[in-house]
Amino acid sequence: MTQTAKKPVSTKKTILRLLLYFVVLDVCVITLYPYFAMLCTALKSREEIFSGGTVLPITAIWSNFIDIWSRAPMARYMLNSVMIAGGSTIIAMLCGIPAAYALARMKFKGQTAFLGFVIVSQMFAPVVLLIGIYQVMQTLNLTNSILGLVFINAAFNQAFTIWLLRGTFMGISADMEQAATIDGCNRIQSMMKVLLPVAAPGIVTTLIFIFINAWNEYTVALCLIQDDLLKPLTVGINTFNGYNIIEWQYLFAASIFAIIPVVILFMCIEKNLVSGLASGGVKG
Amino acid sequence: MATLNLKNIQKIYPHSNDQKKAKKKKGEPEKKTNLQVTDQGVIAVQSFNLDIADKEFIVLVGPSGCGKSTTLRMVAGLEEISGGELYIDGKLVNDVEPKNRDIAMVFQSYALYPHMTVYENMAFPLKLRKMDKDEIDRRVKEAAEILDITQYLDRKPKALSGGQRQRVAIGRAIVREPKVLLMDEPLSNLDAKLRNQMRAEIIKLRQKINTTFIYVTHDQTEAMTLGDRIVIMKDGFIQQIGTPQEVFDHPANLFVSGFIGMPQMNYFNAKLVNEGGKYAVAVENCKVILSDEKQKNLAANKVQPQDITLGVRPSHMVLSKQPGNTLTATIDVSELMGSEVHFHANANGKDVVVIVPTMNADGERIDSYHAGDKLNLTFSGNVCHLFAKDGKNLEF
Repeated sequence: MTQTAKKPVSTKKTILRLLLYFVVLDVCVITLYPYFAMLCTALKSREEIFSGGTVLPITAIWSNFIDIWSRAPMARYMLNSVMIAGGSTIIAMLCGIPAAYALARMKFKGQTAFLGFVIVSQMFAPVVLLIGIYQVMQTLNLTNSILGLVFINAAFNQAFTIWLLRGTFMGISADMEQAATIDGCNRIQSMMKVLLPVAAPGIVTTLIFIFINAWNEYTVALCLIQDDLLKPLTVGINTFNGYNIIEWQYLFAASIFAIIPVVILFMCIEKNLVSGLASGGVKG
Repeated sequence: MATLNLKNIQKIYPHSNDQKKAKKKKGEPEKKTNLQVTDQGVIAVQSFNLDIADKEFIVLVGPSGCGKSTTLRMVAGLEEISGGELYIDGKLVNDVEPKNRDIAMVFQSYALYPHMTVYENMAFPLKLRKMDKDEIDRRVKEAAEILDITQYLDRKPKALSGGQRQRVAIGRAIVREPKVLLMDEPLSNLDAKLRNQMRAEIIKLRQKINTTFIYVTHDQTEAMTLGDRIVIMKDGFIQQIGTPQEVFDHPANLFVSGFIGMPQMNYFNAKLVNEGGKYAVAVENCKVILSDEKQKNLAANKVQPQDITLGVRPSHMVLSKQPGNTLTATIDVSELMGSEVHFHANANGKDVVVIVPTMNADGERIDSYHAGDKLNLTFSGNVCHLFAKDGKNLEF
């Protein structure tokens, strides 16, 4: 009796599970297909791309991935991107950590208003501010300069940094820092020696997010940089998108190189998102 | 090893802007606790006067929100002192940084550093003081030995149980050999069995290390067993300071009498009468002449006959065979505890708890009483606690 009663339930469960797998598979295919098409196109010859045909290349031309390095200053673009993303990450963190600490641990007049202001600053799309940014950069003589892009990207990511780090710091019991002050730390020491190591997973996550955002930034870099050797990867890839001809195979091969760091960093965040480090210090 | 003097210590939490606005609107702020609220803010602690002797173990006890932890945090330097003076070893330390007060503190939440091993946790305060490496090693190992955590020195706090974490927290506090050791409800996160065990450990620890202790708890058992003196607090005020026995035997007011002692003291509406120069209490048909000591105290205070609240502890109530000069109560519930019986009875609408030994001096067994049976209760003149209607003990 119990067996017969159980059977329909398990069948229902199996069907539900199959349905779930089907949906997940669909989502995966839809999401991953563009990347697949990108890889396939990167492996085709120019003639094959323009002759139509199947998605899969007839013969895989791996040399496309090598050719791009000689056809455009790819290494330089990559170095520029690393400098812009790295520099803006460092500046955003250097400003964001003290700001988030103050918002999480101290009380001051206008705190709520400041937090509101920070979030409002995030609401404007960078494109809306483009003309203003250009004018400011021109005044500072920072157009066509990597340093200018470093500052702009740091500023764009500041609000996000402050909010994310504030949340991380607030999630950590203040008891630990108080214990540290009694143990002999001053405020800065208690932050450096206790709070930041404990907040490491949150800090790493924020860090990588900023890096990826800055790495992927396109519009401002396109408008501000004229010198080919100062272009970041996102803008530099356009070299293959010429006036007369678009070299799709090279464009996609370069794009694949551009997304590799992002994919690797995302994989790192995934590991760090497990916020297990903070457990154990305090009760629970 | 230090003396502490707290002189008229006060803590005021200023109103936040929102509260000020609410106050303007409503005229008066919402009152969530019994703490006094003034224009300046909520007064969490006031008129706190206490002199703590060298190597004394002081326990601050009271219900939640009474200001005991705030007081401790003011001693630690984690809270600013709004008024009054705090001296450690005769030196005014109101504005001294926590790290320069030479105190150590054990937190309720342990507050261990999760990214450091047990060894590193314990060595941390010593490293900050730039102590010699060998000396750090010696002290950490010695403290670990005392607390029986030597085998866990390489572990991270995450890999320890609650009791072990608490030992590490205590270890981190004692390695520094501080002048004063502060403990903020250190056992309240542990289960009952572990708490009893750790309580005994703290008593042992105290014998091993020579330092002044201030211990905050809401658990009266901890207060009674650990403290040389107990400070009982309520609504930011000290209610009584005394040794555990003093506080138990001579509670200064109704609150203290109810807070200390399990089960709680029984209260009766009674009359204090003076017959031929002798004070006596009368509850219903029962009249008891007070002991000589109480007579003396009341006479010294020139207490007039009046309506009072009479308090008698459950273990001081006596069963009487003959009705007459007794209180009559009906048993609601009888709990057999082995060597004694707890009767929860009703005496004229008042709940009364009576604790009697299972067997009396004559060898008669008491456990034959059942729910609904009548009890004849009496008490002697030296166990009465006489409280005026405002709650103050008339003998004080």
